[in-house]
Amino acid sequence: MARCFLSVYCPGIAGDRLIRVVEWCDRYSPLVAPDGPDGIILDVTGCTHLFGGEGPLLLDIRRRLHRMGLESYGAIADAWSIAWALARFGRRFIVHGEAAASVLDPMPVEALRIPAELAEELRRLGISTIAAVRKIPRRSLAARFGSTLLWRLDRMFHQAEEPLTPWRPPAPYRASRISGEPVSTVQDVSYVLRDLLREICTRLERDHLGSRRMELACYRLDGTVDRCEVRTSKPTRSLSHLMRLFGEKLAALQSDFGFETFVLSVSDLEALAPEQLSLSQVDSTKEEETFDALVDRFGMRLGFGDVNRVRVCESYLPEYAVEFRSATEPAMASADWPPYRIRPIRLVQPPMRIEVSTLIPGGLPVQFFIGRQKHRILRSEGPERLASEWWRENGSRWGERDYYRIEDDNGYRFWIFCDSSGRWFLHGHLA
Amino acid sequence: MPPSNLVVEKLRQQIDCLEETQSRFSRTIPVADAIDDWLPYGGLPAGCVHEVKGNNLASAIAFSAVLSSRLVADRGYILYVAPDRFLYPLGLLPYGVKLDRLLHISVRRSRDLAWAVMEALRCPQVSSVIAVLGGLDLTDSRRLQLAAETSGATGFLLGSAGSAPISSAMTRWKISSIVSKSGQRFDQPLWGVDLLYCRGGRPGRWILEWRGQKLNSILTQLAQQVSCEALAG
Repeated sequence: MARCFLSVYCPGIAGDRLIRVVEWCDRYSPLVAPDGPDGIILDVTGCTHLFGGEGPLLLDIRRRLHRMGLESYGAIADAWSIAWALARFGRRFIVHGEAAASVLDPMPVEALRIPAELAEELRRLGISTIAAVRKIPRRSLAARFGSTLLWRLDRMFHQAEEPLTPWRPPAPYRASRISGEPVSTVQDVSYVLRDLLREICTRLERDHLGSRRMELACYRLDGTVDRCEVRTSKPTRSLSHLMRLFGEKLAALQSDFGFETFVLSVSDLEALAPEQLSLSQVDSTKEEETFDALVDRFGMRLGFGDVNRVRVCESYLPEYAVEFRSATEPAMASADWPPYRIRPIRLVQPPMRIEVSTLIPGGLPVQFFIGRQKHRILRSEGPERLASEWWRENGSRWGERDYYRIEDDNGYRFWIFCDSSGRWFLHGHLA
Repeated sequence: MPPSNLVVEKLRQQIDCLEETQSRFSRTIPVADAIDDWLPYGGLPAGCVHEVKGNNLASAIAFSAVLSSRLVADRGYILYVAPDRFLYPLGLLPYGVKLDRLLHISVRRSRDLAWAVMEALRCPQVSSVIAVLGGLDLTDSRRLQLAAETSGATGFLLGSAGSAPISSAMTRWKISSIVSKSGQRFDQPLWGVDLLYCRGGRPGRWILEWRGQKLNSILTQLAQQVSCEALAG
């Protein structure tokens, strides 16, 4: 099938502004990329009919850019290079097939997209049009001007493919809605979203896939784009669950002038086997699902880093013995923990330096201070000597620690340790 | 059927409707023998919200963990919701908590705290929520209670001794540290347990010792005396 490229030329645009326009052009086709400092290239193969054909598409894109205050030229052709040349030097803006050669031939050599010095040199030799270049045998062209010129010619006249690397990787599942009137209320947006989700979820179900990450791009009337992303801990294609996750995000959308186009794309996919409908009332997989849904809701609002499962690791040092792992990660086996080791309920991390008073130098403390609060020690149990494992590079700042469980005159129980240089630290609160 | 019987039948139905609210709290958690006898439900009712205060947060967490672990069957989860990450899960092991059933949620923004507890209480897989809350307004506390009632989860809302009481709580406890007897081991802590408020019941005071996977009540005479004082106060 013939490819179809749309090149847009916006003189005087650059940098962030160009990237914003590239992002905006995503509404026409997912295959969009910036093309040089002042142009955009779109692969619109198979997309043109959505906008009423090639002519209306060109008109539409130019009119909208004009509304954003941008002067632009656009062209559609079978190859990237042809579209590029037409947008900048052409008189016709849509050219297909054999007609291309006759349109391109009278164009200046700059239309070949060659470096300025090369074009200068060609002109100095009296070669000023593409037709003149094509008349020269390839061998002498290569000998005189190097490979760049030939390479450009080949791309223009279909002897070489020109790959397009899209600005955003195209999503394998994508659905879009263009509304006739701008949509501005959250309720209307969620109505459109439900429609989009229904389409995507049906396709996912057919292909036995589930989404891990989904993105809704909302295109505002003034050319800016709002994106909301939804991540889940397990693959899902449940409409109600996704709607609920999106619901939190939609409330934060700023509609300003209203949205005109919505694109929903799935950027992360995982296999998800079809469900067997169950006749029995209690269904264990269903129950698991609601818990996962809860984890997802927590993750979306609080951040997935703050929703943790606990894993016990093999280490003597209390700060390494417990690991908080994200609940989205698959569960790993926990190490066994011998019950005779008494550990605090709350860990003071990092350990807090405390001032202690002892009766004899180097002996057990009889009282200590936390801030100004004095704690008289009535009972103590210990020591329990804990040292860093040899494979830990930075080891422990405190060397070997002697831990004591102590109780003060109010019945508070603490876990304190004395490091190898004789300083005392509070490391936890016992129940 | 004579009309008088009809009236009786109607009244009986009305009483049944009223009693249905009572049967909501039919599931109870055993605490300690002495406390179970004291409480009007024969134990601590599940599927509602309890407030646990304490000047020592570690003891309050341990007390809630004991009760939560008794509630969790093999399927349920315990959710620990707190604004910090100071919980040391290994310390919970002696109190019967299985770590693979524990989900730790740290909430950075204080306004998400009540939301997180509510979401957790709504989930049918969650059997118990232990949350460290600074305080709670009237609406939120009522919502939490309703969420717990519908899903059957039990909430333990922890706070410091000075924080404002949570109005919708079914019971309100105060856990305080107590100076141990000589020779008391550190894995057998003593707690002074005050029942400050109990819907449909009387306040009370006990001293509990955690030993052999059980809470044992000791010094009941003193407890009686103090409970009289509490009633008078």
